[in-house]
Amino acid sequence: MQRAIEAAGIPTIIIAALPPVVKQTGTPRGVAPLVPMGANAGEPNNPEMQRAIVKATLEQLVKIESAGKVVPLPFEYTAKV
Amino acid sequence: MSLTVVKGLQSEIFVPITPPPVWAPVTKELKDMTIALATAAGVHHKKDKRFNLAGDWTWRKITDQMKSSELMVSHGGYDNSDVNKDINCMFPIDRIHELAKEGFIKACAPVHAGFMGGGGDQEKFKHTTGPEIAKMFVEEGVDAVILTAG
Repeated sequence: MQRAIEAAGIPTIIIAALPPVVKQTGTPRGVAPLVPMGANAGEPNNPEMQRAIVKATLEQLVKIESAGKVVPLPFEYTAKV
Repeated sequence: MSLTVVKGLQSEIFVPITPPPVWAPVTKELKDMTIALATAAGVHHKKDKRFNLAGDWTWRKITDQMKSSELMVSHGGYDNSDVNKDINCMFPIDRIHELAKEGFIKACAPVHAGFMGGGGDQEKFKHTTGPEIAKMFVEEGVDAVILTAG
């Protein structure tokens, strides 16, 4: 999906919970906060964390210089299951 | 005779081959960008058709008029409990609006896309769903897209 949008000329970045997977499937740009699958953009009902993740993601959209780079982000959330 | 039988081979153990890079350069500053969301988390409007949890290559258009409280998830591939509490943890639409309001980005796009990743017909995703969603974003003048998946 990301590759199809990128191929149409629109730059993209993915927020991934599983960075090795997105890397292997050929992501152009990615970020990886320490989150479980299902809360990629941060803890539920924690708008501060979500906003910080989205902001850091957008900063990396501009910053990443070459395809296939996945940048770790310093945010952590563990789901209580 | 070429010694390479399988192009891009990384391991003799069967693993997916990483496709060649694809890259669209960023040409604007963030404050001049209209940002859209695309998610593989199975997000759609509550009145929309649910995804087939066994695998589904179709997608749902999410317009910016839809409130985040009107959105839901149908996805059989991950624990939905967090996203059921707060759609923003997979589809941070309220956060994008806030960033547009404070001028960090120019605007939130009028349209977004929800689909169900983690399986389904990959050929359909690659050749039908992906290009359809990309076409919508191009037509709506989207400058960049944030995806949540994986």
